[in-house]
Amino acid sequence: MQLVHKRTGKLTRSLGLLTAALFAATNATAQTQVSGDAGPDTSQSLNHAVADGPDTIRVDSAILFYQESGSRVRAIEPVINVTDNRANGDVFTMKLTADTLTGATPNGAAPWIAPQTFITPTNTSVSSTSTSASGHSVVTTVNGIATRTYVAPPNTTPLDYGFQDQRLAIDLGYATSIGAKSHISGGGGFSKENDYQSISGNIGISQDFNDKNTTASLSLNAEFDQSRPYYGTPTPFTPMSAKMGGPGESKTVLGVVAGLTQVMNRHWLAQLSFSYSNNQGYQTDPYRILSVVDAVTGGPLEYLYEGRPTSRNRQSLYFGNKIAIGETVAGLSVRGYHDSWGITSFTGEISERVPLGPWAFIEPNFRYYTQSAADFFVNYLVAGTPLPQYASSDSRLGKFNAATVAVKAGYQPFDNMGELYVNIAYYKQSGDSHPADAIGALKTQDLFSGVNAASVVLGYSFAF
Amino acid sequence: MLASRMESRATPDGRLVRIDDGHVYGFSAMASPCEVRIKSDDGALALMIGQAAEAEARRIEVKYSRYRADSTLSQINASGGVPVTLDDETANLIDYAAQCHALSGGRFDITSGVLRRIWRFDGSDNIPDTAAIQAVRPLIGWNKLDWQRPALVLPAGMELDLGGLGKEYAVDRAALAVMALGDTAVLINFGGDLRATAPPADGSRWRAAIEAVDGDDTAGAVVEIASGALATSGDARRFLFKAGVRYSHILDPRTGWPVRNPPRSVTVAAPSCIEAGFLSTLAMLHGAQAERFLKREGVPAWVVR
Repeated sequence: MQLVHKRTGKLTRSLGLLTAALFAATNATAQTQVSGDAGPDTSQSLNHAVADGPDTIRVDSAILFYQESGSRVRAIEPVINVTDNRANGDVFTMKLTADTLTGATPNGAAPWIAPQTFITPTNTSVSSTSTSASGHSVVTTVNGIATRTYVAPPNTTPLDYGFQDQRLAIDLGYATSIGAKSHISGGGGFSKENDYQSISGNIGISQDFNDKNTTASLSLNAEFDQSRPYYGTPTPFTPMSAKMGGPGESKTVLGVVAGLTQVMNRHWLAQLSFSYSNNQGYQTDPYRILSVVDAVTGGPLEYLYEGRPTSRNRQSLYFGNKIAIGETVAGLSVRGYHDSWGITSFTGEISERVPLGPWAFIEPNFRYYTQSAADFFVNYLVAGTPLPQYASSDSRLGKFNAATVAVKAGYQPFDNMGELYVNIAYYKQSGDSHPADAIGALKTQDLFSGVNAASVVLGYSFAF
Repeated sequence: MLASRMESRATPDGRLVRIDDGHVYGFSAMASPCEVRIKSDDGALALMIGQAAEAEARRIEVKYSRYRADSTLSQINASGGVPVTLDDETANLIDYAAQCHALSGGRFDITSGVLRRIWRFDGSDNIPDTAAIQAVRPLIGWNKLDWQRPALVLPAGMELDLGGLGKEYAVDRAALAVMALGDTAVLINFGGDLRATAPPADGSRWRAAIEAVDGDDTAGAVVEIASGALATSGDARRFLFKAGVRYSHILDPRTGWPVRNPPRSVTVAAPSCIEAGFLSTLAMLHGAQAERFLKREGVPAWVVR
């Protein structure tokens, strides 16, 4: 008897690749959490709400169509916004939103040169094998446990097509004045998805100074979210399987925003604001996994659920300007952001609103965004190295740049009270597709799973 | 008759036994004793895991057994030169076998099964004559097949035999089926080809005994693994002995003759059982050079001479 053991040979390495291809791995699931948490890449701009006089009600109805490239997420979102300007100067607002999201989302696994098979739990109960409506996955019952299997083709970002969600949200707000120079406002919101629900409240005060040329504001907001993933909450870094996870989890957000708005001169309005929020609780994506790859070949060996820290502090500083130049209005803003996960981002935005006669306008807009990666962002885990405390391959936590080009156009068809508008936008992300430290055949793979997306908003706003 | 027998085979008939640190589920499949060790005190879970593994073993046995006329493999072997369209799973296995053939320089060949018609390893001295060997050699050689996935043309008279891969593949598939049921640590052992789905939760390691090859004092050894697979190739009881020469049952498809001076057994550890099985078989096919081959490949291996 003798033990023979040394460095892995060429044949064995090739064999490892072939075997990975044969089994194309084990377990998985996916579904990006579409929560109210907009992440660092959030646009924040000067609200120049149409100023209606007292005792009018404005109704703004719009529908958003959103489509990501590569048959990924598709969303349809109708919104109705009602603003009731009371005779006494108080303002009541109500916003109703309904979302329908379908399509595929990256499940977090790294792409590979061979097909990869993922097994997830499912709520569908069937007694035999069947193919789901989308045609992308198969539901099987093995000894009473229903599993869903789907296969990611070679050389593509693994996507889960089992993605579908509906969301209903309502937001209510009320603002009133105390004396001539002070205003207080309060509001609340509730939104419900199939697997997520969020309740929030806010209160704010603002004070005018300097002949109303300066307004200082402070608002506090609190949010409580409950996540009830379809298949339970998985334990981070355990292998993906058809097993149901643990009970639901929750998250609490406390935030503060301090702002200063200044009329610089007749043509120039500037706004400065600082926001800080503290997020405590479950912030992991329960559907997202990570590939554990062979240290030499890069071939997938297993898939583990991701894990993120339960605490996140976020802060941002925003500076925005509206400048009237002749008939046009230019918008210029910059925003810096940093959070305790290690993400630092910068946003720059420029727009120009150009009237086309008295009844129409067109407003091109360009926005650039860049962010650094979260401390725990990885494209995959490497077998044989110690597990990190936290890890995620979510491209939204990685380093990337994004550009948005948009055009908004509006037309007042009847009178001053109504406006028909359309906003068409194209969003393109770019990231590090081929990191220099990619292992083995992963060098040939596009490891950046970010998206390109197009959206169209059609809206009609009117007052009575 | 056949249908009813198949049906009865499809129902799990294994037995679950409670042991100190969990459960053992045993059954017989692929002409081998099969065992599933489950590190869980939950009997219902253990039964479910055992039955899932058994179901996978039975499914693969039914599909790839040479001894069942209705198996996919037998249908290929009975095709008589007419193209056969293979399902995805079979096509994947054929692709794998083709690549094993290429990697092994032709030593590993799933068309070599016909040699068994003339070589019968029953411990006797019945060595076939050279003419008989020459007669079957035209029926051996992967390159004589036309494989254009998913269509396979197997020339009449030739045969495929997944003997070197099938049982190991079943172990891996059973492991995958078990892993789909949760993260319980499970050791699957189908006739000595084994794979652990995970390290035992108590931090210990799985222990596997390497059988002593015969009655003499060559002691067996105990191998410990945390996870991954072990497979053993050997000629424990399958050999011919003539004129002082021991002929192993490891046949070199390139010559039609047994490999000279292979080890008595080679046990290889690898991430998957199919890899371990292929590497241990290929090591045997290197005969006297087996250790050198294993050393060059750097795979964890235990060799008995």
